[in-house]
Amino acid sequence: MKRVECPECGSEVELPADVVENEILTCDTCGIELEVVSLNPLKVALAPEEEEDWGE
Amino acid sequence: MFVVKIGGSKGIDYDAFVRDLAQYRDYVLVHGGSSQLEEIATKLGKPPVFVTSVSGFTSRYTDRETLEIFNMVYAGKMNKMLVEKLQHAGVNAIGLSGLDGRILEGRQKEALKIIENGRKKILRGDLSGIIERVNTQLLKLLLDHGYTPVLTPPAISYEGVAINVDGDRCAAQIAVALKAERLVILSNVPGLLRDPQDPQSVIERVTRDQIEAFIETYARGSMKKKLLAAQEALDGGVKEVLLGGARGEAPLTKTLQGMGTRIC
Repeated sequence: MKRVECPECGSEVELPADVVENEILTCDTCGIELEVVSLNPLKVALAPEEEEDWGE
Repeated sequence: MFVVKIGGSKGIDYDAFVRDLAQYRDYVLVHGGSSQLEEIATKLGKPPVFVTSVSGFTSRYTDRETLEIFNMVYAGKMNKMLVEKLQHAGVNAIGLSGLDGRILEGRQKEALKIIENGRKKILRGDLSGIIERVNTQLLKLLLDHGYTPVLTPPAISYEGVAINVDGDRCAAQIAVALKAERLVILSNVPGLLRDPQDPQSVIERVTRDQIEAFIETYARGSMKKKLLAAQEALDGGVKEVLLGGARGEAPLTKTLQGMGTRIC
């Protein structure tokens, strides 16, 4: 199981084995959304705020 | 004053629509072009890529090349087709995209949250956005001098970059900015349907407070955005929004007479 540290609360976050770049995961401890910004090395960052408007 | 949006899906009778529209005065026309875009983009070897937002809205992924084809179809083929038909019907139409004179100005989205293969992801590089300003000065200048504006996405970002924006929500923003009394959205379906497979199942009346629930329960595909546009129009002061079909004769008149969905 892949693991990273949550940049918000410092808890350990488990990632699925087949995790993909730009995938969003939620920290089970603090509930914040994290984006997988790099697979090698494995890095996560706080996911951007919701952007919910769309084109044609 | 009213704003009418004519969609771009298959099955719309543009000749019948223009014959009908030409009888009216004091309006702004907004149009789509989705089926033509899909057809032409596919012919050019660039078939559309659709993405789904986390809350279930479907949208086109717009990279630079897609945006250029978008311009060709919306601001070119579709816009000039409607201008030509209106001119032929005696209406002094002028066709403009949201880029021209910064008629539709807004901000580009930096990142979108989408669902792909059941997983939540961040999507970047999408040239889409949201309209926040309408150049009413230019629109009023045209209207006051007897011209009928025929408007289409794309819009322009504050940085001066073309952005893909939703046509229904464009029409809503224009209606709000011009303080229009009514927004009419015509498409290839006769209104909001209780059962998407049954064109007879039109919901005749929707209140402002029901919109959110109906987006979840009845609306499918682009109908979700029509309801969202209706909500934005009503919240901005437009008195009523009418959703109607444009497959046959006199689509605007029939919709104004109550054939379709009235949202107020």
